[in-house]
Amino acid sequence: MRRVAVTGVGVLTGAVAGGADAVRGLLAEGAARAGARAPGEIPASTLTALFDDDDARRLSRACQLAVGAARLAVGDAGLVPGADLGVVVGTEFGDLRSTIEFVDGYLGRGPGGLSALLFPNTVMNTMAATTAIAVRARGLSLTLNAPTVAGELAVARAASAVRAGRVEAVLAGGVDQLDPVLLEALAELGDGGDARSEGAGFVVLEPLEIARARGARILGEIVGSAWRALAARPHGVGRRAARASAIDAALGQARVAPAAVGSVQVSGAGDVARDRWERTLVERALGTHRPRVGMLAPLLGRHSGVAAVAVAAAAMDATASGAPALVNAVARGGTHVCLVVAGP
Amino acid sequence: MTPPVAVTGLGVVSPFGAGVKAYWDGLAAGACAIRPATLIETEGFRCRLAAEVPDGVGGSVRRSRADRFALAAAREALDDAGVGRRERAEAALVVGAVGGGMLEAEAWYWERHRRPTRAPAVLRSTFPSSHAEALGSVLGLGGPRETCVAACSSGAAALALAADLVADGVAPLALAGGVDALTRICFMGFNALKLLDPDPCRPFDRARRGMSIGEGAAFLVLERADRARARGARVWAELAGAGMTTDAYHVTAPHPDGEGMSRAMRGALDAAGVSPSAVGYANAHGTATPQNDRIEARAIRAVFGEGRLLVSSSKSMIGHTMAAAGALEAVATVLALVRELIPPTVHLEAPDPDVAFDCVPCTAREVAVEHAISNSFGFGGQNVTLVFRRA
Repeated sequence: MRRVAVTGVGVLTGAVAGGADAVRGLLAEGAARAGARAPGEIPASTLTALFDDDDARRLSRACQLAVGAARLAVGDAGLVPGADLGVVVGTEFGDLRSTIEFVDGYLGRGPGGLSALLFPNTVMNTMAATTAIAVRARGLSLTLNAPTVAGELAVARAASAVRAGRVEAVLAGGVDQLDPVLLEALAELGDGGDARSEGAGFVVLEPLEIARARGARILGEIVGSAWRALAARPHGVGRRAARASAIDAALGQARVAPAAVGSVQVSGAGDVARDRWERTLVERALGTHRPRVGMLAPLLGRHSGVAAVAVAAAAMDATASGAPALVNAVARGGTHVCLVVAGP
Repeated sequence: MTPPVAVTGLGVVSPFGAGVKAYWDGLAAGACAIRPATLIETEGFRCRLAAEVPDGVGGSVRRSRADRFALAAAREALDDAGVGRRERAEAALVVGAVGGGMLEAEAWYWERHRRPTRAPAVLRSTFPSSHAEALGSVLGLGGPRETCVAACSSGAAALALAADLVADGVAPLALAGGVDALTRICFMGFNALKLLDPDPCRPFDRARRGMSIGEGAAFLVLERADRARARGARVWAELAGAGMTTDAYHVTAPHPDGEGMSRAMRGALDAAGVSPSAVGYANAHGTATPQNDRIEARAIRAVFGEGRLLVSSSKSMIGHTMAAAGALEAVATVLALVRELIPPTVHLEAPDPDVAFDCVPCTAREVAVEHAISNSFGFGGQNVTLVFRRA
């Protein structure tokens, strides 16, 4: 089994756009910046600065977010894309805005109002597809859909692919965008607890020996990753006493004792019942040990791209403290992901 | 070479009806389930056909149509494998999906277009991951859970991912497959792209004019071959290897040389430790669009050489069932190995001279083969090949 290095990060959100240095800056200013600007829609000027007219015309907004963050991550890692680069994209909602635009064309003008150009964007893998084209990634390409934990799931799946030797390098993270119809529907269904925002984020994962051989800067190492399903009804939270098997499995893979964990990044995005469930699961897995708990939601809100920032933050934390950090995420419905990140 | 992964359970909901038996009977007979669409409005479209699942699947009407398909197929697969409640607690679940509960969400959105309408509860099941949540909750599956969206290769990709989890020892067994119900968006989109044939599709025919849309679900139970044999399970076949590649070329069109497709086939053969000459049958992606069939045939020829391999398209009978296609075709491939019968390509009257293979026209053929592949390709240049070995 190979060791999994984190060699780059790229983030495109309303609060921060850039690579590892930008993430470091965001975290350093975190306390001061939290609440200063509510996480929400990314200003158009941010995207205009990143894309030429051709890209802007060709790519939907969700695809621009993904491609922009992916390019930042590849640049941050100093990676030369090639046949063995893979892409694993997590998303909760896909390119819903294009889907609605496509449908509105029909409802407004009948079959003649349908756009053949928009149709591919109605399939959730469109962000992965355009990202693969943009960075010439010809290996594994996956889009994973899950409520609120899709980005963490993508990083965990990508880490396992690198560990098993199935891919030489992989961009892993997520993307989501806000849409008025979506927000209205979520509110009407009573699912508006999370502080939703939008953005994209990727980390670059590579086998440690290959990263070292090419002289890459190593931000950290994913030493454990696991995802499991907790018992819960669809869209519901489960029993608080449940065993956090994803944390147990990730720590076991990493050979890290619960008491050795230095910090935990949790989602804490505002869904009170789910956040409480997550906290209980973490506490149960770590026993009496109470490491420092961080959450990025006050800075970034909740979208699938936040996972990449969480991994980078965990790597920076682990580097500074010398103790491994957890990235934990639990979704309503029971999908539970845990990553164990160590310093380089 | 990856450790052998056994297929110990099969479950299907297809346009031939619920159940593996109805599916195989339809394929073996060369029947065609592509008919005038009834679920959605087709007025004004070039194509008005679809391969719809007939009534009789069952399940609560409070669930989305796709969730009902998924539950029926998954239950059949688990029962077929003899997997009890206790074993399910550690079972992985990987679902290939695209449309989710979009059929029901569309109904709401269409109504909302006419008058203010509150969001119904079924909207919670709109996104593809809703199937996995429903299956996981109802069937008590507590291992790793994933929903993979890889366009038309989603079902095959789900099987490849599940096989990895089993081979790597992450989960002792996995339930994996794909599901899609017909949706207006899919039907309208392929019409807008002019990729649908007004008549039932004719893969590999020189007069082919596009695809036919279908719907359904298929799930397979995968487990380590040694574990399956130790518990005395019937092993239908081995999923010997999988290859997944990306063209990184175009969002809708495949690479003109089929380069990514060839890489997927070679990668799957390498993973299986199988030489091209050991493969006797390819269940093709075979959509019946003029471009895709030609490119797929070119890619198959690049890997297997000209002529020897039998190639057929199940889509000629059940249409293109989108995210379910890769899983339904995997079941067809497994059953072809077991029954020693190659399902035909129906409506194939004038073979395309650019397709250098015997595409088993119209009538199933009795042939025993040791290895077979199933190809699935999707928008975004997503290519998946699965290699199955006779048990």
